[in-house]
Amino acid sequence: MIKIENLSVAFDGPEVVKNVTLELKDGEILGVVGESGSGKSVTALTLMGLVADTAEITSGRIVFDDVVLREAGKPIDKALYRKYQGAEMSMVFQEPMTSLNPTVRVGRQVEEMLRLHTDFSNEKIREKVLETFEAVGLKDAETVYASYPHQLSGGMRQRVMIAMAVILHPDLVVCDEPTTALDVTIQNQIIELLRTINTKEQNSMLFITHDLNLARRICHRIAVMKDGRVVELGKTEDIFEHPEETYTRELIEAVPSRLKRRTSVFQGKYPAEEEECCPGRSEESLGEEEAVGGVEGQAFPPVVEVRDLSVFYQDGSNSLFSRKKRHAAVQGADFSIYRGESLGLVGESGCGKTTLSRAILGMNRDITGEIRHTTVRPQMIFQDPYSSLNPAKTIGWLLQEPLRAAAALDKSRAMSREDMEAAAYDMLRRVGMEETYFHRRPSQLSGGQRQRVSIGQALITNPGLVVADEPVSALDVTIQAQIMELMQKLQQEMQLSYLFISHDINVVYKMCDRIMVMKDGEIIEIGETQELFDNPKQEYTKKLLASH
Amino acid sequence: MNFFIKKFITLIMTLFLVSVGAFLAFQIIPGDVVTSILGTEATPEREEQLREELGLNDPPVVRYFSWAGGVLRGDLGRSYQYSKNMNEMMPVAELIGDKLPVTLWLAGLAMVLIVMVSIPLGVLWAKSGNRFLDAALGVVTQATMAVPSFFLGILVTFLFGVVLKWFAPGSYVSYRQDFGGFLGYLVFPALSIALPKIAMTARFLRNSMLTEMKADYVRTAYSKGCSRQRVMYGHVLRNAMMPVVTFLGMIIAEIVAGSIVVEQVFGLPGIGRLLISSINNRDFPVVEILILYITFVVIFVYFLVDILYRVIDPRISER
Amino acid sequence: MRKPGSGKWNKYLTAGLIMTGIALLLGILGLFWTPYSTTAMSASEKFDAPSLRHIFGTDNFGRDIFSRVMKGLSTTIVIGSLVVAFSASAGILLGALTGYFGGLVDEIVMRVTDAVNGFPSILLALVLISLLGNGRQNVILALGIVFIPSYVRIVRSEFIRLRDADYIGRARLMGVCRIRILFVHILPNIFSVFWVSVMIGFNNAILAESGMSYLGIGVQPPDASLGKMLSDAQGYLQNAPWYALAPGLTIVWVVLGFSLFSEGIRRRV
Repeated sequence: MIKIENLSVAFDGPEVVKNVTLELKDGEILGVVGESGSGKSVTALTLMGLVADTAEITSGRIVFDDVVLREAGKPIDKALYRKYQGAEMSMVFQEPMTSLNPTVRVGRQVEEMLRLHTDFSNEKIREKVLETFEAVGLKDAETVYASYPHQLSGGMRQRVMIAMAVILHPDLVVCDEPTTALDVTIQNQIIELLRTINTKEQNSMLFITHDLNLARRICHRIAVMKDGRVVELGKTEDIFEHPEETYTRELIEAVPSRLKRRTSVFQGKYPAEEEECCPGRSEESLGEEEAVGGVEGQAFPPVVEVRDLSVFYQDGSNSLFSRKKRHAAVQGADFSIYRGESLGLVGESGCGKTTLSRAILGMNRDITGEIRHTTVRPQMIFQDPYSSLNPAKTIGWLLQEPLRAAAALDKSRAMSREDMEAAAYDMLRRVGMEETYFHRRPSQLSGGQRQRVSIGQALITNPGLVVADEPVSALDVTIQAQIMELMQKLQQEMQLSYLFISHDINVVYKMCDRIMVMKDGEIIEIGETQELFDNPKQEYTKKLLASH
Repeated sequence: MNFFIKKFITLIMTLFLVSVGAFLAFQIIPGDVVTSILGTEATPEREEQLREELGLNDPPVVRYFSWAGGVLRGDLGRSYQYSKNMNEMMPVAELIGDKLPVTLWLAGLAMVLIVMVSIPLGVLWAKSGNRFLDAALGVVTQATMAVPSFFLGILVTFLFGVVLKWFAPGSYVSYRQDFGGFLGYLVFPALSIALPKIAMTARFLRNSMLTEMKADYVRTAYSKGCSRQRVMYGHVLRNAMMPVVTFLGMIIAEIVAGSIVVEQVFGLPGIGRLLISSINNRDFPVVEILILYITFVVIFVYFLVDILYRVIDPRISER
Repeated sequence: MRKPGSGKWNKYLTAGLIMTGIALLLGILGLFWTPYSTTAMSASEKFDAPSLRHIFGTDNFGRDIFSRVMKGLSTTIVIGSLVVAFSASAGILLGALTGYFGGLVDEIVMRVTDAVNGFPSILLALVLISLLGNGRQNVILALGIVFIPSYVRIVRSEFIRLRDADYIGRARLMGVCRIRILFVHILPNIFSVFWVSVMIGFNNAILAESGMSYLGIGVQPPDASLGKMLSDAQGYLQNAPWYALAPGLTIVWVVLGFSLFSEGIRRRV
């Protein structure tokens, strides 16, 4: 039985964890869900005795099987903690690559657990490590044992981390976003593995995540945290079906899910004679969609047509000794994007999503086949709001730069200084920001605000087509919902088309009218959203969609 | 291994290019050397005869290969400045052979001092959470790095030679006469070279360790129940040493430069002083060979660092 | 161009500013005026220890050392600034073009800079001087050339880093022309890194210049120089240590001031 009683933690003044009380029973998986800055990670690290030395426990205590590990007002007893760390309580981290020492063979890193806490002989240690590797599903245990972290795949590394965490059968395993850095199909396997371990070992797990859907799948109970406090705690079903707190409700609503109604702003109709892989819109699926305004039924022209497109990249460093090799990152892509629609592009990392989108934007020139645009200068919105705005410029300057560039390219688009400024102010308003931001710099803005400016900058020249590469993945769920809403609003106002790339199936479900599935550089399936979710044709699509 | 062959070819190619550069710079651009050997009062016939003797009338490519061929066979040319006897100029090989050991011992001693002092110091510095020690070491290293090596040499002479009288300035003895005395004298110039580098290396190692201490794998190690001691020596040190190895490689190149100046301060008859006097007297054959030699040392050290790096970082040797 | 969060003052900055301020003031003043003539000899005042009359004392000819240090400081500062101006502007241009465009020229420039960078700078300067001959202009030219690669390397790596930044990708999509991307979009973002390297470069130039004049190569009399003073003073260490300490500590003062200043700037960013 592990108890966190009335815990408050402060870093140089303000408390980041406030009066948190949590109890973990044997065999239970307790989820702690919250957005960034909610204090969930600090709570976990304090429990594990890993929080930075500058942190101060201002109230409460941590009790592990009737032993008080940490108490307010007393300095941390590191020697006591060391007896528990690894042996009784262990942790699985988010990023398995950086969480393993890059210069030590993984076998040795797992061994260290046994060397620290047992007096087994060398043979026994080795045997035990190999045995645990096999138990967590690492097939070629001997090879893994002698490998360095960089030689293993992301999923394997996380299995190694899990093996390390469970090798001494601790009573508590803390998992801090253990699947966030992994591809969706691998995510599933890791979740299954954790569940199996929990059932078999009957240990307690503290499962930290920002992802409500994920918590729902694995946790018995869930604690929702906001601004350092636990706002709601209860059984998983109760939390989802009868959320008591407004924040919990907001959070659940903000998370896109297939169980909710889709909203679509597409007002057109797809041509009947589409390629055979994407059949016409079925009657049932139409009924479930809620078209926001406008008359349906008109066939809209394509903004871009892609015919038999292959995109190549060259590998090997530019060296005197090795000749570059040319590989196809995308092969035989064939599709169109129609005016006013959102086309989703899904697939695992490395499948060619980004390469394809860059080729459409003309950023990748080594292609065969054809890309026909009917709009000029399609624009792009990137994932990371922190690197997509030039930090040396003001927001106003950034919003006007596309207009200046357009004027430099085409004299007929030249505008007066006042007109440009007016256009920038207008765009600032349209993306939902106050005029006072005009003279600020990106570093003074939050992630969500930056993404709004990015959107404004992409749309100010009215480009017709916008490629959005994971535009909401780096944002907290509530902000995510706002940005998606904004994108849909502007799409409707400006008759925009989106090529929407995301790894999050639920986001794609909410935003997109059609979905295109990529695997190993090929488009394996393309279809209208509801149809694709209801009747996926390919095995791979099924697997991908089942992951949430 | 493929990598070593590649690196080796690069090494040879760089040396070739440098030798071409040195040849162009010192034998083609300066023009006719005949006047600098014979003086302005020689007869045209004598000048022409010498030109023929030295092969100056051949096309540059032929001259390069005969010069480079000579260098490879150990014939490094002849000095314009020093004469061996009445009618023969001093061969460069003999000139250098005598002075090389002095410089090599000086550089070696400095390197040993740097490695022996800076690494424990850097680790200690990173480990101490003591704010006062931290600040004090910070100020000392900052100040040491600002002292140019020749002034440091003078300060060392003043402190150990004039004030403390641990050695007599200018009392250099040749390694042939008294090896112990030679080394004893060399300690002070070596110290002058090493001191700022020790400060730099210790600071570099400390920063590298503090950066590594923030890495995720360190948190993992703590979560296993490792003590701070174990985390430091078992996990952090090796990773933190990697950039330090490259840094030390660069330091070696700087030691070579430092020794040129410091030899002057302490009156050591090494190749540094030879280089300076050759430059002042426009004795190009000597300058050329010295440059080539120093380049070789620097490139070879980088080659060794590359190899060493591969040995300690498993991530690179795979690719 | 103040960036938020970077306005913090720190001790390094204060100390650095005061030290470099005094040095620059004396150096610039030394161009026009010195307390005593730097060439006036006085047999009666040989080797006077520092006093109120001669605050750094006098040398073997009875000349005022403080005045001579001021003159030497002027030479050093003028040479240092010209060297930095020359090599930094060449470095920006080369680094920006090679970093952003890459390709064969980049490959060649990089091979050359790598080779030069790994090489002790004073040695290269000596080689160039031996070809060009002694004198103030040649010292500036030689050091200017020698230090170009260090700037190329920094500017280039910054341009490579920013070339692939999302916001530069977006500028390209907007159709902003290349020159504008290079100098309007990227350049302002590398200034903080660049200033630090300019200050380090200034220090290296001063150290190299004084080292060369100590060795008797480079600046020649009648140009005053701190390095030359040191080598003259070395023989009188026994009876007039101030003669050597004055120019030596002046060099340390300038270099330390600049490195504290650059450290202060680095910490501010």
